[in-house]
Amino acid sequence: MTTHTQTTDVETSAITLTGITKSYSAASPAALREVNLDILPGTSTAIVGPSGSGKSTILRIIAGLEDADGGQVRLSGRDVTALLPEQRGISMVFQRPLLFPHLTVLDNVAFADRAAGLSRGQARERAREHLELVQMGAFASRSPHSLSGGQQQRIAVARALAAKPSVLLLDEPFSALDPGLKDEMHAMIASIREAVNPTILFVTHDRDEASAMAERIVVLENGQLLQHDTVDNVFHRPASLAVARLLGGKNAFAGEVRNGVHHSAIGAVAISSTVESGPATLVFRQEAVSASARVPDNRTDASPPVTRDSDATACQSRGPRELHGVVTSAIQRGPRRELLVRVGDAEIRTEAAPGALLSAGDSVTVSLPCEALWTVPS
Amino acid sequence: MTAVQSRPRRHGMRATLLVLPAIIPVAIVVIGGIGTTVVQSLGLMPLVGTPALSVDAFESTDNLLGSALLSLGIAVVSTAIAAVVGFFTAVLIISGNWGGRIVGALSAAAVTVPHLVGAASVGLLLSDSGVLARILGIPPESWPALVAGPTWFAVIAEYAWKESAFVALIIVGTLATRITSYDETAAMLGASRGARLRLVLFPLAAPSLLVASAIAFAYTLGSYEVAWLLGKTYPEPLSVMALRLFNSASLTARPEAAAVAVITLLLTAAIVGVAMLGLRRMRAWQ
Repeated sequence: MTTHTQTTDVETSAITLTGITKSYSAASPAALREVNLDILPGTSTAIVGPSGSGKSTILRIIAGLEDADGGQVRLSGRDVTALLPEQRGISMVFQRPLLFPHLTVLDNVAFADRAAGLSRGQARERAREHLELVQMGAFASRSPHSLSGGQQQRIAVARALAAKPSVLLLDEPFSALDPGLKDEMHAMIASIREAVNPTILFVTHDRDEASAMAERIVVLENGQLLQHDTVDNVFHRPASLAVARLLGGKNAFAGEVRNGVHHSAIGAVAISSTVESGPATLVFRQEAVSASARVPDNRTDASPPVTRDSDATACQSRGPRELHGVVTSAIQRGPRRELLVRVGDAEIRTEAAPGALLSAGDSVTVSLPCEALWTVPS
Repeated sequence: MTAVQSRPRRHGMRATLLVLPAIIPVAIVVIGGIGTTVVQSLGLMPLVGTPALSVDAFESTDNLLGSALLSLGIAVVSTAIAAVVGFFTAVLIISGNWGGRIVGALSAAAVTVPHLVGAASVGLLLSDSGVLARILGIPPESWPALVAGPTWFAVIAEYAWKESAFVALIIVGTLATRITSYDETAAMLGASRGARLRLVLFPLAAPSLLVASAIAFAYTLGSYEVAWLLGKTYPEPLSVMALRLFNSASLTARPEAAAVAVITLLLTAAIVGVAMLGLRRMRAWQ
């Protein structure tokens, strides 16, 4: 198993964190422990993790709103660890829009230029461009309190962009919005990226949002960086069992790899022949495997059985592994139907194939595509 | 349908009944007191003689204009100092560092001190044989006339000190829970401390600053004990004059006392009215 880390030249990174540690008090556990992170310019990166994992603390340390106990923050190669927030050239959008109530929408967006010393007229002229960027040009003269939550957050993003930041930090900016509005916001961020291509680092507890808005994901737990990788790798090739769990993976089977075959409670499953032999946990996402109704026969193993380890070949050459089992519970979640299938002594979480109206007690065949299978160190 | 419509009306009636015990005494004191004073000032309620509508009490009161200008001067200067000092004290308290916490505790303590005690303390501190003069080793004849002098320094100092603490606590009370977020937001938009103070903190504090200043002004204009203890005997502020005339042995002075009180009331109402109009125009208040 390889460790998935990103290696970049420190000088070319938009953000570089080196050995960042942070404790809020001597009695409480460390909020961040030796966090190292490189963010490339023009990328969008999501930080995900459970509550209290240190997600927001990372953002606040990068922004300068919190001081790290140790380590270094560099922006485009420049050490900013000792600089005040206003000297770092960063903008941040918070969970609440925090529009200044004493200013109109236009003057809110013009705030950064006014603070930089531009005249009111010049600042407003530039602010109009940013309002158009978030499709809010018609609301320029309105008061913030007359806008909906989604509209206010659009203005907050426009206001942050108007400061021409080298990095845009977003701290759960859309978590208070309903799903429809969230989709609109994701589309807005995509259009902003096309237009001005800022480096974006955002915190979210929503895995779907992370994959919708970012091409890379940082996974944090208990102040430790567990993985920083592409969206696909983090979801389907987690660096550890903890990452798989945090990203919502529900299938994990402890066992052992011998000659490219993983042996566990669900039986022998061929995986990549490049995986080293030894103890390993087989993981695969429930969305990546499907169950369909099975024509009864006497075998519990539908695939050609792996009789000897020496028979194992690369997973790709064997085709999907098929296992027979019985549905023990079925839960409908919107258009998807989640199944818990008992296979031997183990239980696999999967989804019913489209149109398959499966329920508890049904005999099913679970198909494990080769691409969905991954092992992590036990 | 009828039940649905009558429910809010019943609720409104109940709410009105619930606040009546609070409203009735206030109405009796304010409307009754003001009404009596106005009626008395217009000669309609003389202690002796026949009631007759006249403005004699306003015309016959000696140096009413001078006293009004003096009262306004003391109130405007002390309120202005209290507003400026109070605002920056609030900024210091909101900053949350140890200095701010000490200032916050001192401000809270200052608010609890009665004006009469404050006036006596300022008198003991600033008089020509007072504590400050002794500490500095300055003889009484060389010490400036801070108490009962032509500048009304001690009176203004006492009002400014007490009211600045009041103004600071009012601002802190309204801003403490939200100012940190706005301050951080402004910092993340590149605003320096000075720009944040000018563009965020002051505009957000302005409504509570205005309200607190209006209250301080009304109090300063209407209270008599500080000016009576620490001020000159002549000219005298409106409040001191009203009390003197009210307690006068001459029964004909009673309408004059009422006239002085009415002038004080009108000045206060005018200033508070202007402050309320200003408040309504503030976007941060909306």
